[in-house]
Amino acid sequence: MKILHSWLKDYMGDATPSVQEVERIMTFSAFEIDGIEPVGVADAVIDIKILPNRSSDCLCHRGIARELSTLTGTPLSHDPFSLTPIMPETDRLVISIENGEYCRHFDLALVTGITVGPSPEWLASRLEALGQRSINNIVDATNYVMFALGQPLHAYDADKFKKDENNAWHFGVRMAKVGEAIDTLGGVRYELDPSIQLIVNGADDSPAGIAGIKGGQYAIVDAETKNIILEAGNFDPVVTRKASQKLKLSTDASKRFENNVASKVVPYALTEVVALIIKIAGGNVEGFAHARPKTMENTAVTIKKRNAEALLGISLQTETIEGIFTGLGFGYAKKDDGVFEVTAPFERTDILIEEDVIEEIGRIIGYDKVTSVMPETVPLTHINVRHYYSEKVRACLLQLGFSEVITSSFRAKDEVQLQNALASDKSYLRSTLATNLLEVLAKNTPFTDLLGMPDTRIFEIGTVFSKTDAGVVEHVALAFGVRTKVAGYTPKDDALLASVVTEVATCLGVPLHETITQGVAEVQFTNLYLSLPLPLAYEAVSKALPISYVPFSVYPAMSRDIALWVPEGTSAEAIESILNPSAGPLRVRTTLFDEFTKDGRTSFAFRLVFQAGERTLTDGEVNTVMETVYEAVSKKGWEVR
Amino acid sequence: MKIPAGHQHPLSTMIAEINSIFAEIGFVFAEGPEAELEKYNFDRLNVPKDHPSRDMQDTFYFKPTDAQEPMVLRTHTSPVQARFMETNKPPIRVIVPGKVFRNEATDATHEAQFHQLEGLYVDRGVHMGHLKGTIEYFFSKFFAGDVEVRFRPSFFPFVEPGVEIDMMLRGSESKLANRWIEIMGAGMVHPHVLRDAGIDPEEFSGFAFGMGIDRLAVMKYGIDDIRNLYSGDLRFVSQF
Repeated sequence: MKILHSWLKDYMGDATPSVQEVERIMTFSAFEIDGIEPVGVADAVIDIKILPNRSSDCLCHRGIARELSTLTGTPLSHDPFSLTPIMPETDRLVISIENGEYCRHFDLALVTGITVGPSPEWLASRLEALGQRSINNIVDATNYVMFALGQPLHAYDADKFKKDENNAWHFGVRMAKVGEAIDTLGGVRYELDPSIQLIVNGADDSPAGIAGIKGGQYAIVDAETKNIILEAGNFDPVVTRKASQKLKLSTDASKRFENNVASKVVPYALTEVVALIIKIAGGNVEGFAHARPKTMENTAVTIKKRNAEALLGISLQTETIEGIFTGLGFGYAKKDDGVFEVTAPFERTDILIEEDVIEEIGRIIGYDKVTSVMPETVPLTHINVRHYYSEKVRACLLQLGFSEVITSSFRAKDEVQLQNALASDKSYLRSTLATNLLEVLAKNTPFTDLLGMPDTRIFEIGTVFSKTDAGVVEHVALAFGVRTKVAGYTPKDDALLASVVTEVATCLGVPLHETITQGVAEVQFTNLYLSLPLPLAYEAVSKALPISYVPFSVYPAMSRDIALWVPEGTSAEAIESILNPSAGPLRVRTTLFDEFTKDGRTSFAFRLVFQAGERTLTDGEVNTVMETVYEAVSKKGWEVR
Repeated sequence: MKIPAGHQHPLSTMIAEINSIFAEIGFVFAEGPEAELEKYNFDRLNVPKDHPSRDMQDTFYFKPTDAQEPMVLRTHTSPVQARFMETNKPPIRVIVPGKVFRNEATDATHEAQFHQLEGLYVDRGVHMGHLKGTIEYFFSKFFAGDVEVRFRPSFFPFVEPGVEIDMMLRGSESKLANRWIEIMGAGMVHPHVLRDAGIDPEEFSGFAFGMGIDRLAVMKYGIDDIRNLYSGDLRFVSQF
């Protein structure tokens, strides 16, 4: 919710905290701040992340001001909810509501003799600061009061709204009919069904708006409008939410109703918008009408001081608690010692149980008052068998040169399809690990020189999904695979794999019952570990070494081999200390791959691997580097073979 | 040539380390299915159907024809709280490291799949001080330093009060040191969640917390793109 700092002054006056103070107070006692944008030299828009439990009362400037008032301990200088709305009735407005659970309040006002025109500068600039386009003084006034008090409003042109046989304006609220449709503001047409609630013209039953979501084109206010009817309703959160989701139409209005804005805000907002319109567009109020089948009342919540202390871990004084209730504007009655009956003000529809009140106490007193307590240490009562044996398999495979991967659970095509995947390449779930590992092997074989590995060996332990008659089922799978050749699978891979299967089976002490596909073995690991003896304790975890990750180059590496004769007794390290500096900064790895001694001389063969961070290397430039290496070697008197 | 040892995936290394830290104070490694009943993923965690709090997580659904009851890819590890409490009596101390899924676009800091660590402690007299103490204990061990944590108000439907937790590592050379870092959501288990799992909220209370293990990896190792964790690229894994 975007909050304009200067707007808060309407309610807080000189006691309005500075932007920085608002940020600090909100962050530690109420809400996260998503951002602050300066407006001109002296003002700012503060973007406050209002969470679902407070979206009923805090999606507006008055709500945020009320919150700041509580948290700074200064009463509001002007509270629109403290005035009693004066609403003389007129019989020229008639309301009929089909379902009083779905439409809890529906109030109307008739204002005649207005002049539609541009909004005054102060109003337009406030809306624009919130990112709202100024349309005209009437529409702007309805939007303005919504951002001020949190109540969505709508204005109709009374002369375009067909009157009934008694010369009255008749508003109906009912569920849509099968096949019914509505053209909304902005000209988009929506097909409706009986789960969607409508505002209709009661004279001819034609749709005038989607209740709680968006106004229709019907009786739209334009430059010629002289007489208007203003509407403030309160609609059921679930009905509004379902309709909004069905129509894929989320609006400022629907967001507020979905979060259960209080029905009692209706008269305050309606009288406020009428007063504002008369101020900026002239005219006279002819009268109001209301239908209020259900008025939301906050019920008293019992709260015990000792329960608050027990949950927060803070000891509390009775006076402190009472002070907090007063600051919040909560009515309270003291019952037995340390027991209160608390009633939240009508706009706070989120205070339902004792814990809700305890949270208010905690955040207002300050969570910095909570002191750390270490739970008493108790012995471990259970060993996770899957984790225990996964660790065992990991240790075994790592030692055999296998590296661990975690691959995507999603596939473009497989057995189990999801209902609502965003991307077509992840609309199915994997039924095996082997298919993923085959792809990962192919991707990694070119990196053997770069990584200093003679071949490619990987494994994964993860969940796979399949379909049965009983529906979707899952199990943990273990898979490991090898590639001995860069070009891809050869039967030689299976021979290597067979020896690894034997080794892993030895580690676990049972046969694996593996399935082999092109150098990849897959094991139903859930069944396997369930058949193994229950472990009594975890193996010790070796202290992890501090590692600082370095982003790797995505460009291909290039290898050059160099073999040379050196006098017997020359160490590989001594040779590398000549090779590496002369190979320069493009060299990323040196691997010794052959060594033998004959007639007082030793032959060493090294593979030098080159790679650049930002580009693909050319043969020519690597050859030039190698010339420098040969030169350095011959200076030492070593013979290149 | 002798085969050099392979490299363990950093998430596995971290999960093993997390488990050993919590095992020392008696937290059991619990787990549950990735294909989870909607009931456990949402309803039993006080996230009712048709309530805006469901919008906090974008969810992958299974096709109704593939499941006897509405089923989702779990959006968090929290359903294991509900499952564990249903079958175990307090005192309960569990951690739940595991893969979770969100139906959202991916970039360097967001993946549609990631790993979460859940923690739950239910007993007589558990309060927010225990939450603070436990989290400080964990991070002090995990980041090998002196860690302080602080709470800020927040909202998660399955806890009340709900808090966001920031941590600060003190007196270390690490790049993470001496500044507040937002690290996890937590709170006191909502009485509806306890009651629905068959635990009397009048008698027992508890704390729960949840954090991204991938995010911990980013902090601990300086990983620049979390998609690398799931790419299967050995140029990445070989650094660990």
